Amino acid sequence: MLLQTNNITKVFGGHKALDNVNVTFEAGTVHSLLGENGAGKSTLIKILTGVYQQTSGQIIWEGKEVNIERPKAAQDLGINVIHQDRQLVPYFTGLENLFLNKTYPKKVLGGIHWKRMREQANALKDKWKIDIPVDKPVYDMTPTERTMLEILRAMSQESKVLVLDEPTASLTDKESVLLFSLIDHLKKEGVAIIYISHRLEEVIQISDYVTVLTGGKVTASLTKDEITREKIIYHMTDGQQMNASKKEKADLADQQVLLTVSNLATKDDKVKDVSFNVHAGEIVGMYGLAGAGRTESMEAIFGLREKSNGEVVYKEKSYNKVSPKQMIKEGMILIPENRHDEGLIMPNTISHNMTLPILNEVSSGGVLTRKKESEKVQGEMKRFKVKAVSANQTVAELSGGNQQKVVFGKALLTNPDLYICDEPTQAVDIMTRNDIHSFLQEQASNGKGIIFVSSDIQEILEVSDRIIVFSEGKTVADLKNKDIDNHTILDICYQHQKGEN
Amino acid sequence: MSEAVKQPKQKMSFSQKISSYGTIFAGISLIIIFSILSPDSFATVDNVINITRQISFLVIIALGATLVMSVTEFDLSIGAMASLGGVVSAKLAILGVPIVVSLLVPVVIGFMIGLINGAIVTHFRVLSFVTTLAMGTVIGGFTFWLTGGSTVFENIPESFKFIGQTQLFMIPLLSIIMIILVIVFWYVMTHMTLGRRFYAIGGNEKASEVSGVNINAYKTVAFALCGMLAALTGALLASRLGSAHPTGGDGYFLNAYAAVFLGMTVVRSGIPNIVGTLFGAAILGILANGLTILQVPSFMQDVITGIIIIAALIFQKIGRE
Repeated sequence: MLLQTNNITKVFGGHKALDNVNVTFEAGTVHSLLGENGAGKSTLIKILTGVYQQTSGQIIWEGKEVNIERPKAAQDLGINVIHQDRQLVPYFTGLENLFLNKTYPKKVLGGIHWKRMREQANALKDKWKIDIPVDKPVYDMTPTERTMLEILRAMSQESKVLVLDEPTASLTDKESVLLFSLIDHLKKEGVAIIYISHRLEEVIQISDYVTVLTGGKVTASLTKDEITREKIIYHMTDGQQMNASKKEKADLADQQVLLTVSNLATKDDKVKDVSFNVHAGEIVGMYGLAGAGRTESMEAIFGLREKSNGEVVYKEKSYNKVSPKQMIKEGMILIPENRHDEGLIMPNTISHNMTLPILNEVSSGGVLTRKKESEKVQGEMKRFKVKAVSANQTVAELSGGNQQKVVFGKALLTNPDLYICDEPTQAVDIMTRNDIHSFLQEQASNGKGIIFVSSDIQEILEVSDRIIVFSEGKTVADLKNKDIDNHTILDICYQHQKGEN
Repeated sequence: MSEAVKQPKQKMSFSQKISSYGTIFAGISLIIIFSILSPDSFATVDNVINITRQISFLVIIALGATLVMSVTEFDLSIGAMASLGGVVSAKLAILGVPIVVSLLVPVVIGFMIGLINGAIVTHFRVLSFVTTLAMGTVIGGFTFWLTGGSTVFENIPESFKFIGQTQLFMIPLLSIIMIILVIVFWYVMTHMTLGRRFYAIGGNEKASEVSGVNINAYKTVAFALCGMLAALTGALLASRLGSAHPTGGDGYFLNAYAAVFLGMTVVRSGIPNIVGTLFGAAILGILANGLTILQVPSFMQDVITGIIIIAALIFQKIGRE
């Protein structure tokens, strides 16, 4: 056995990201890691590659315990990662990128020996059967060529373990086939491949071993003949059956349709074909795997991302090119996924954050009416029980939960009819999570429409009246939250992946 | 009773607002040092009034730089803009237009060029640093063409010098204009929606957009106001000197940003702010005035000024850590 983890545990601020994880990686095999977002896959990889240090447990390399303190130490052992965000210099050619972490061959006077460099590169290409145009600058290369180049660079350092993190995310099916044949070749040469992908079909196709992580724990270790979709989904949900736990409401189908989205697509092709509607008084859950295009769809509806096709009808009015400013005016609000970068202005005060969308309401002739502003802010702080010294405290000093309450206070002040909440309970405490759920339920019973995007399937089942399933930029199912469970939903997600890319 | 309870609280919030006393301490020490070294010339009422007039140009042009920096952009064309403003107003004065018109026209031109700067930066998403540097070159070339490269001074009517050289109850009109503009822009930045939105954009552009702020529009307004104030500075300078040199305003460019940066070190949040800018410009002004009185050669003045700015920045960084 090449690489083994022995009861690896990693604790982040009291939370166990990894809990006694034991995995063995053998030379000449493809070993896939599966799990939902936050299951601990990246944490494990970061420990194996020296980015993080484990809290307890050992890493065994070729039978001996090793200490991987820095990424350099991992590379010296022969562990390399090919990331989603590629580590290449766009304006350098393939050749220059290949030698980025090595000494360039020099001529007598110190000039670069390009000829020798090219010879070395060609030898590598032959050895690993990777055919890429090394004289092309990287910005001119296709995604496959870039991935191949990175793999070639890793192999030039005599990698024994190669971690591929979502390598097919930006590849077409045809390009993926090329990558798979390369993986096959590497395998034959005795390289251990650690493969991370949320595309189940390819995982089933290429893996020799599958380890499933759930909430930081290994919930399954499967060998080649045990790898089936049913088994994987069963283990990814930890064997538990989660049912619709929500009380059924009176039929909402007769209610006014607030929002209708048909065949929405975006210029950047992240959203390909999205259609759904939201009724007044309804909570519509949006579920999908990472990269399914949920966030991007919401951004397109709210005017933060450019549309290329499709129609958005809100309150019986059709919108083509919109801005957030306009949509807020029309009574729509977005609670963005990334609180830190999009939800709040961290260095500014609670008060300044909350009233930003409604400055015109708390001013006259461009002059701020402090009293009006303070009344509004105090009202929301009280309603959401924001724990802060005063409204003049900067939001950066608040806890995650309280920050999110400020975001909700800000949203409520715009008096919206439709809330688009993108992962609204991400990184907040349980109390706040419950507060947010009951707030949204209360808003829905007042006739507001709620879009609830979450990667937590249990949460989706808890709060939604209806569930829209996204896969690869498309809406693939529209389910009433009745008599369905997590298995059904995950199954739909994976079923729709194998289609064209 | 209630007064006594309130007071410490206010003191707290004042000290909380100030991050490093370094800059303020430096300012006060400068005043003390100069007062000791030349009590007869530096520490006089006349000289204090004199300093307020000397710094008026720097303060006004730096106000504009503060606005642009509050939306995290730069306008490097302000020096060239000031030169153009001076030349245009002097040329107009020679043509015999009323003094108000000869001041207003450059202000409008500055505003328009600022709009163009802002439109280019926001619409094409190019770096303001480079855009305005290039725009400064364009403006400089244009000014050169207007003047043929020589100073405009012949036939300038006495009336044109009115604003630059008049005093009201011993206070120079220039100082009064400066104080009014500082108050106006302080009010705009702290009590009006415009300033609130500027600071929102400066704090987090993306989050501001999500909250419905029209980023492009407000950034463009900041550039326009900045161009306007730069051109006004040039026009006032021409009125003061009774002449306009085609590169007369260029020197204000670096000092304006030095004043803004010094001003940023005064507040805890470290953001560009009007009062801080006034303070920064005052330090630079006091330094220039005091060193001149002490007959320190001008190259030495530059060395000392530069070192003080660097020191202020370093102290702020240390203070925050």
